[in-house]
Formats: sequence, C-alpha cells, structure tokens
Amino acid sequence: MLGKGLKRKLSDYEENMADLSSAFDSSRNLPYPLKRQLVLNMCLTKLQTYKMLVEPNLHRSVLIANTVRQIQEEMRQESSQQPINVCNGIASHSLSYPGIDSPGISLHLPSGSNQPESNCCSSWSGEGPIENSLLMVSDDDMSSAISSILKDLDFMEDISPPSCLAPAGDEPKLPENACLKPEVRQDLKGAECVFGSFEISNSTSYLKDLAIDDIFEDIDTSMYDSDFCSAPLMASRTPPTATEETLKTFPSCNSSSTTNIQICRPDLSELDHIMEILVGS
Amino acid sequence: MGLALAACSMPQASLWDLHLAPQEQENKTQSLSRGEYNVYSTFQSHEPEFDYLKSLEIEEKINKIRWLPQKNAAQFLLSTNDKTIKLWKISERDKRPEGYNLKEEDGRYRDPSTVTTLRVPVFRPMDLMVEASPRRIFANAHTYHINSISINSDYETYLSADDLRINLWHLEITDRSFNIVDIKPANMEELTEVITAAEFHPNSCNTFVYSSSKGTIRLCDMRASALCDRHSKLFEEPEDPSNRSFFSEIISSISDVKFSHSGRYMMTRDYLSVKIWDLNMENRPVETYQVHEYLRSKLCSLYENDCIFDKFECCWNGSDSVVMTGSYNNFFRMFDRNTKRDITLEASRENNKPRTVLKPRKVCASGKRKKDEISVDSLDFNKKILHTAWHPKENIIAVATTNNLYIFQDKVN
Repeated sequence: MLGKGLKRKLSDYEENMADLSSAFDSSRNLPYPLKRQLVLNMCLTKLQTYKMLVEPNLHRSVLIANTVRQIQEEMRQESSQQPINVCNGIASHSLSYPGIDSPGISLHLPSGSNQPESNCCSSWSGEGPIENSLLMVSDDDMSSAISSILKDLDFMEDISPPSCLAPAGDEPKLPENACLKPEVRQDLKGAECVFGSFEISNSTSYLKDLAIDDIFEDIDTSMYDSDFCSAPLMASRTPPTATEETLKTFPSCNSSSTTNIQICRPDLSELDHIMEILVGS
Repeated sequence: MGLALAACSMPQASLWDLHLAPQEQENKTQSLSRGEYNVYSTFQSHEPEFDYLKSLEIEEKINKIRWLPQKNAAQFLLSTNDKTIKLWKISERDKRPEGYNLKEEDGRYRDPSTVTTLRVPVFRPMDLMVEASPRRIFANAHTYHINSISINSDYETYLSADDLRINLWHLEITDRSFNIVDIKPANMEELTEVITAAEFHPNSCNTFVYSSSKGTIRLCDMRASALCDRHSKLFEEPEDPSNRSFFSEIISSISDVKFSHSGRYMMTRDYLSVKIWDLNMENRPVETYQVHEYLRSKLCSLYENDCIFDKFECCWNGSDSVVMTGSYNNFFRMFDRNTKRDITLEASRENNKPRTVLKPRKVCASGKRKKDEISVDSLDFNKKILHTAWHPKENIIAVATTNNLYIFQDKVN
C-alpha cells in the first residue's frame, strides 16, 4: 500500500483492490492475462462508480473507456486466434462486481479447458486468492458499460445535432449484466454494433436475472428477515390457496432454471413461514 | 523592489493576494530576505450555484487565475470556476479626503447655518484598503468544465477552454463569445479525446495551442478559419514501445501547456515528465525531463487510488532557462535547461525554517536507501503540489500545497 496519507477505515473491497494493485506493481511473476484482467476490473468498477455520480468527470471517463477498449481489442485479437475460447466461461450462479458484497467467486470452467497453448487457462486452473477475486466479463458488458457512460455524459442543452442512436430504454445496471448466460462468449460483433445501446428487449436473461426483491420493493417485508432458508421448495408441499396466489406473482419461480431456484428459495421459505403464522399452525 | 502580487485560490474559494511585508527600521537593503508575507487581500470570487435545469450544483472552487497586464494603478485578473469566468479589479486606497464643507467627518450633513467658513478638502493618509470589485461576468458559454483561460497578447481578447470546446471572448463583451474549437463528436459514444489545456502565444495574437488527453498538442491559427478545427501544427511524440503498459495512454494525458516567454518554445506536463517543444519541430520534443520516474513501477496502485489523474502544472522562469513543476510529498522539482542539472525541494514548515536555505531532497527508487534519502513507499501521496508559479522578472516562486502557499526567493547576499 503506497503512502501514509490520512488514516481511514478501508472497506473490505478497497483493501482488496489496494492489495491487488500492489501485487500488480510488485510482482513480476503475475501472468499477463491476470494483470490485464485486474486492470480491466478496476476500469469497469471505476466507470460504474462514475455512472452513479451526478456529474461524472468527462476527462477521466474517456481515459478509462479508452483503456477498456484497448484491452478489449487485445482480448479480441487473442481470441480470434484461438478457436475455443475457454477463458470466458462464466459460473452458473450469479456473479457480482467486487464492489458489491460477494462472498467469494469461484470460476467453473467448462470441461476440456486444459489447452496447453492457452496461457490464460493454466493460470486460471488454480483457485488462488487473486483468481478468486477476479471476474470474467463478456465483451458486450464492457461495450455497453462504456457506451452508457459516454451517452450519459452527453449533457443536454447542446444545440449540436442529437446522436442518432439512444433507444428509450434505460440500461440495466452493470451487476445485472454480469449475471449472464452460462454459454461460451458470444461471437464478436463489429465495432459499430458494439457501441450500440444495450436494449432490454434483446436480453433474454433480463427477467431471470432481476432479483425478486426489486419487483416488490414497496411491500414491507421487514418482518420476514430471513433466518429460515432451510425450508424445502414450495412446490413439494401442499400449498394453501393463498400461497398459491402469492406464488403466481413470482413468475420466475416456475421456471426450471437452477439460477432462479436459488434466488427463489430463501423467499419461498419466508413465505412458508408467513403462511404458517397466518394459518396459525 | 516593487509590489509583488501573487494570487491563489483556497478551498473556500477566496482569492488571496500576498504582499511583501513592509520592513521596519531594519536593514532596508535586505528587504527581500525577511521571509514572511502578509495577506494583502481576500475576497470571494465565486459563489456556489445551482443549475436548475440539470439539477447540478456548480461549485465555487476556482480552477484558474490569470493576471492581466497592468495598465494603470489598479490590477485586473480573470478567475474561473467550472462554468463562469469573472474579471476582477483590485485597487488600493490609502488616502481619503477630509474637511468637507457640507458634511461631517462621519458623513452626516451639517446644518447649513453652522457653516461659517469655506475650506478646501485635503487628502490624508489612511490604512491601506484593498478593494476587489467584479467588473465583468462571462457566463453560460460552457457546457463542460472549464479547465483553462488565457489572455491574448492583444490584451483585448481571451480564450476559455472546457473538455470539448474553446471559446474566444472580448474582455468588454460578456453576452457573446465565439466558438473557435469544437471536438465534440456527433455521437458521444465515439468520444476518445478531450481538451486538457489551452494557451495563447505570448507574441502572435492569432496563434494558440491546446493539448489533449492523448498527449498531443495542436497549434491553431485563427486567421485560417473561424472554426479552428484543423490544426496548423500537430505536436506528438511517438510512444516508446519499451515503456508500454496498460496505463500508457492515461499517463500521456497532458495536464498543462505553457509557452516560454520568448514564444519560441512550449512546455507540456504529463504524469511522469516535462517536455520542451520547439515550435518548429512537431515530431518530438527537444528536451524531456523526468519528474518522478520512480513512479512508473507503481502505476497500478496510483491508478487504484486515482492519483494517476492528478493534474500538475508547470512554469518557466523569467529568462526561460529553468522550468519548475510539482510532485508528491510536497516536493517540487526544478530543471536547469542550460546546465542540465535538476533539484528536488520540499515545501513544508516542519522541515524548513524561514530564512534558511532549502535542502535538496532525494528519492530512493530501489535498492539501498542512503541517509537522508526518502524511499518511494514512504512518500505521502496526499501531499501533492499541483500549482507553482514563477515571478516573471525576479527569482521568486510560489508553491501551493493543499492548505498553504509558500513563497521562496533567491538568497540575497
């Protein structure tokens, strides 16, 4: 950690990032793809933070966006030389950025990942602390992150001709973008498409990824703080009619996706508990 | 020596002028070496504002101050925050009239029947009063944050630059400005470069330069066209491939550009170095000085804590033989262009008593640290010197740390 500076309490995340960047600077043995991934993560996190500011700094945003594009380009060139890209396999359970509380991310690569000619695979096969803190993000995520930041920076009042893109939809937040399709990374698109705005309707995973809590934010669930996650899934019990109706309001619960069951499970068990109270059993 | 005025802005956005402390009966020939300065005047230049249309607060923080050449007894300066530029007149009053016929000394009117004699009012000395009054307010011309202002050698016009545009103003006209550079793309998603600094040539009133976040400097001639979108010269040094890293572009972003007094050279400051360019040679600088090369191996940490985005200024001395710029740990560096020697000094009260000669500092990059050297890891990155200024004629410098302004001068023998 550099410098003495002011004493302040670092959050876990900040300590993590400081350690990682110190490791980057001091270690000569860190493999290049790992370094690159670290820098990429830092860039995307910064862009995400700037996006939340009322008035992001245009100069910094442009510099960081250029760095991301450069890394993106490099990764694209590398992957276009390798027929199977294994470094971008994404775990089936939801991922989030280091900035958001995440217990620890382990990356499950698809089988057959041990290709000798691929440097990044050999480095990913271990699960050291650095690998666990890093995250693979798809090309589209990076591009949509950059384009949404830059569009937001196009403040108003400008009499110059409006940009021709910009659909009305609001771009979903970055963490939701990261909760992605478990397939291998999509085909590379041309640069023009890459900087197009991300449209909600194009994403099949949107509804699945949306946490149930977000839909029902206005319902007061303070009573139901979850300590009861052990109850089995609703479907296996005989639900009373009331619960059935409540169940209908959680559309994604009926899907067979494992992801959603994992999201549903704590909420359904809470419902269970509520029902027990109501029914008085 | 005459009046020495320096202006700086503090976090609370007031403007301070510093005046040489008057010497008492002591050694008058040594009036320079007292080493202490009194505050001459303080005034609030900008107030915080709120933009209702965009729901944004406009801070009162001052980004740049530029003095105008003195034409009469008063001083004029331009100060700017993110959106508005103001012209201030600073005048002194050290005499006041006494002995009016119709008024008492406190201003009340006298009863005319009590006036029996006539007298001529006289000027008597009074305590020095410094008045700062806003003379012009140049507002509503910038969508993005203003980073530079520069007064033209015609002393009638000046330019103001934000991230994407440069405007030309007349000092007398506040409701109109001309846009002379616009690099905003039609589609903001294509934006890859912003303007970081701009300055008029000291002698040619039609020439100015602006620097970019990609490390290029463009020289423009206003006679060529109304909108100077096509540069007359493009100064860019090809990248050294052995120094390439993920942060190469970020550290190449130019934070300041200053013409030499002669007008033949210009100096640019990027994150790690100072470069001197000959205006006649576009493909590389004629001199390069490393400010703190030991930071090159720490770029990732400096990126993580945002220090890599710090914008350091640089300045020339009056004869263009020495250049100066700031660094971290309250260090600042001077490079002598003739002898090729450089020195690192520290601006801090703990380590320097007034009237003592500053001791040169050295940073130990790696390996064994010698006595009196400071290791890179013990540098304080919160103590940064971003702003420095050199008196145009004397060997007096002003160095700004986070909360203090230091004035240093050559030892008078």
